[in-house]
Amino acid sequence: MKLFHQFILRHMFRERIRSVVTIVGIALGIAVVLAIRMTNASSLRGFEKAIETVSGRTSLEIVGTGLGLDENLLSNLGWLREYGRMAPVIDGEAEARSADGRSETLRVLGVDILRDRSFREYDLLEFSGKDPTPQQFLELLVDPKGLIITEKFARRWNLRTGEEIDLTFADRAERYRIRGLLRDEGPARAVDGNFALMDIAAAQWALNRLGRLDRLDLMLDDRQRLEMAEQEIRRRLPAGLSVQRPSRRGAQVEKMLEAFHFNLSALSYIALLVGLFLIYNTVSISVITRREEIGTLRAVGVTSRRILAMFLAEALGLAVIGCTLGLLLARFLSAAAVKLTATTVQSLYIAAAATPEPLSYGQVLLAFAIGLPLSLLAAALPAIEAAGVSPTSAMRGSDRLATRHRLRAVFLVGPALLFGLGWWMASRPPVAGLPLFGYGAAVAIVFGAALLAPVVLFGVGRIGDRVLFRVFKVEGRLANANLAGSIPRLSISVAALSVSLSMMVAIAIMIGSFRETVIYWVGQTLQADLYMRPATRNNVATDAVFSPEVEKIVAAHPAVAAVDRFRNFDLEYSPGEKNSGGNPGLVTIGTGEFTTLLNYGSLQFKDPAIPEQGREAMRQAIGRDAVVVSESFALRYRKVRGDEVTLDTPRGPAKFQIAAVYFDYSSDRGILVMDRGTFTKFWGEPQPTSLTVYLRDGAEPDAVREVLLGQFGDRYRVLVYTNASIKKEVLRIFDSTFAITYALEVIAIFVAILGVASTLLTLILERRRELSILRLIGADQRQVRKMVLIEAGLIGMVSQGIGMLTGFLLSLLLIYVINVQSFGWTIQFHFPTGFLVQSTILILLATILSGLYPARRAARLQATEQVAEE
Amino acid sequence: MSILKLDNVKKSYNTGNNGGAVVEAVRGVTLRLEAGDFVALMGPSGCGKSTLLHLCGAMDRPTAGALTIEETDIRRLSDDQLTRLRRERLGFVFQFFNLLPTLTVRENIELPLLLAGMAGSESERRAVELADRVGLGHRLGHYPQQLSGGEMQRAAIARAVIHRPALLIADEPTGNLDSVNGENVLALLGELNRETGLTILMATHSRETAAVAGRLITMRDGLMSENAEGSS
Repeated sequence: MKLFHQFILRHMFRERIRSVVTIVGIALGIAVVLAIRMTNASSLRGFEKAIETVSGRTSLEIVGTGLGLDENLLSNLGWLREYGRMAPVIDGEAEARSADGRSETLRVLGVDILRDRSFREYDLLEFSGKDPTPQQFLELLVDPKGLIITEKFARRWNLRTGEEIDLTFADRAERYRIRGLLRDEGPARAVDGNFALMDIAAAQWALNRLGRLDRLDLMLDDRQRLEMAEQEIRRRLPAGLSVQRPSRRGAQVEKMLEAFHFNLSALSYIALLVGLFLIYNTVSISVITRREEIGTLRAVGVTSRRILAMFLAEALGLAVIGCTLGLLLARFLSAAAVKLTATTVQSLYIAAAATPEPLSYGQVLLAFAIGLPLSLLAAALPAIEAAGVSPTSAMRGSDRLATRHRLRAVFLVGPALLFGLGWWMASRPPVAGLPLFGYGAAVAIVFGAALLAPVVLFGVGRIGDRVLFRVFKVEGRLANANLAGSIPRLSISVAALSVSLSMMVAIAIMIGSFRETVIYWVGQTLQADLYMRPATRNNVATDAVFSPEVEKIVAAHPAVAAVDRFRNFDLEYSPGEKNSGGNPGLVTIGTGEFTTLLNYGSLQFKDPAIPEQGREAMRQAIGRDAVVVSESFALRYRKVRGDEVTLDTPRGPAKFQIAAVYFDYSSDRGILVMDRGTFTKFWGEPQPTSLTVYLRDGAEPDAVREVLLGQFGDRYRVLVYTNASIKKEVLRIFDSTFAITYALEVIAIFVAILGVASTLLTLILERRRELSILRLIGADQRQVRKMVLIEAGLIGMVSQGIGMLTGFLLSLLLIYVINVQSFGWTIQFHFPTGFLVQSTILILLATILSGLYPARRAARLQATEQVAEE
Repeated sequence: MSILKLDNVKKSYNTGNNGGAVVEAVRGVTLRLEAGDFVALMGPSGCGKSTLLHLCGAMDRPTAGALTIEETDIRRLSDDQLTRLRRERLGFVFQFFNLLPTLTVRENIELPLLLAGMAGSESERRAVELADRVGLGHRLGHYPQQLSGGEMQRAAIARAVIHRPALLIADEPTGNLDSVNGENVLALLGELNRETGLTILMATHSRETAAVAGRLITMRDGLMSENAEGSS
């Protein structure tokens, strides 16, 4: 311990800057990994917690196939009482608005209060802890315009019992009276207090779900028999109904978000990887610069095992501090990450409260469980090297003499093998719906590129002299010579920076290509003049439908040529045993007027590829049990045109033939669209969730929009987008989806640049002697500074060069393998030249900046400092 | 004109330890070197020899007294001006050669010219010429670690004189060489002194080495004494 203190701790303290840089690197790596985990968990946990608190004591729930269940079926379900109590539920959303324009989404539960009280706890403030009698409760909700909100929400909105609140259900704005306040108990805890309770009939009315229920909650008398009861009920239920546990909804959402979360997690590990490079770097440097000391220790009898232990302990010490700091940092990063991902999660997947998860013991444990062993692993190689230092050679100091390095063919074997492995892995199919081999291929390419770093540095050292001498004179020559003389040392930093940069380049190419593809797709597909949706339909998951009055107003406008009334909802699809592809998951069932779409709109078909054939296939699907499916559905469940899919309908399972496959980038969960006639046959007449409006020639969309909004007045709240604004909105969501990706990349690059700065500084310290000679024979401070800055720039350039090439390979992998397997989207390759030129300049500047401090240190060295001692 | 003039030069260091004890390494040295002088400086370890060499080589400034190199008082020069003085008027040869390991022999030799801003073609021509003269014409593309000790020291001497300095400071130039190579190096220094009139101040432990110099000065406890034993 004493030796550790004298030999390692003192040294760490003396080399404060390097120690701090390493600690910051690890801290950022760990923080990013944790923050992403916390962020992913928060979007899921928020949703699951809401399910859990709202479910109360519900053991099982009876649900319909997509559009809820017909209230009339209740009379046929009397037998369910053999298992326990039942309570019908309406579950929806409303938007609360204040006079000053503030708005928040409320989760609204419509219940039959008399039956529901045994399912859920309702602690009303007005009765101060005592249970209200059924009579009292009934009185509270008997008013169809009355509701109960939570104390928390009331406090935030400064509302009291008896006051009124403006609520919008789907497109209908109404004023409701607050009849009571719920204490922070039971369902009131859901979604951060944004919860409201209504009578079931009032909720059906408000949400336009007359005659329908969202589900039937079931509380078993004998909870031990859950498994058996579930099986029995499943057998006895009529077609079109199914039984599930409340947690099933959480599991469905988890499955839906899996690919999105998996990709984010994979990205977050890059920062950690770079942090580990820093540990390797620091311990290597520590070993290299202290060979004589190690030799001396060995000479006076310290065993090589002890030397090994000391250097591993150094890594461990740095990692412990780094992980601790990382934990603190993770909290802040996750708050930022939650904000960055909220738009994506809410607009593409689920409505969940965007609050970051608090730090749990599990995460603390995880930070150390990831950070410490990996740090030890990173330090193992240099520590083993230290243990192998022989007393004599180290004491002579001859090892330190920089030597020119020869390029040996063996250096190319590693990269070649890894690239080969990457190629093979890239051609493997996904595992359980995740591109595991794809990521394996990415790791192989990244490590292959890292191993290429010394080869590239050697090449640059060989050819760089002439160019650098011509451009930068003697300082250029010296910088190039230094670079060529420090290849083993520099390779690590260059590899770390290259890896980060390659990911940045790959992601930039992928996003750039994706964006171009979406822009093209949007241009091709979005042909209508106006797009409308109910005000509360702020994400794809809500089930807000239009009022018939709004539809009438729109259809009656003289400039309107046609309206496509589109309806969609989520349905669990299981591909069945015969089909090997894909696991059960949520898909979107959509329906619209195929004739209108064919006459006015357009779809971009993948199969058949010829547009006219696609349109013909669609035309033939009218009046038949046929669907057109999105590319992501076809890829996920390995379906092609002509195949049949079986969907659960209120009339029981039904077979639909795939008439065509079309490109779609609006959702990765798979969409099946059928003509309105087909849909009505199975699910009944649909109420639209969105309206696509085509205007007559010469009509002005903005003017029509204004007129329609005027006609809707205060009564109906509808979001009306013109063609231009919907395209803008699509790109806004697109850009916000990838904001987090860039943020993660910036962190990884920052950590890598820290690594470059730390390596440069070490090289300066190590080359003190050479620098003194330079100063002695007449190099002035400016020349030394310039030399170090050129060196820093060279490192940046080489790293960016390797990063660009590797990034290009990775982008192909992302676009053609990982993305297709994760989301099922075909992306057209597009090279974002502007971005790459800008980033190259930026990286060069950043690395040069990272050389400023080492350059200053180098320039300050005095001529006598090293040479004098001899 | 005197190449080097020291008048009662003193140099003391604050060790910084134990309350900052002051060590007086040079305690009042007066010395004059004229153009073409070859002076050997002898003395036991710790006598202040190295400190005096650093002062004469414009690597350091005296604490007291006057030190002029070609009539330039170095006490008044800034760090950059000292650097320029070293670059243009001084050359250095060391016991451990101090060649830059990442540069070839030619690149090492021409370095002072390039640092002074000379064009690459001219510096290369002069380096090749000088390398031939010191017997390294066949080693131009080699790196220092590929040379023998004698060759390294000859390369170091070439680098030290390529810019035609007024004064060459040599610190134990044969200290790390076998006797044959040591004699060759001394012969080369003598030749340069005779043929080009180069002024040389050479520190050494060895009486045989000192014997090649025209003047011999001895240092003990920071003070200097001169005896006229040397012969050239």
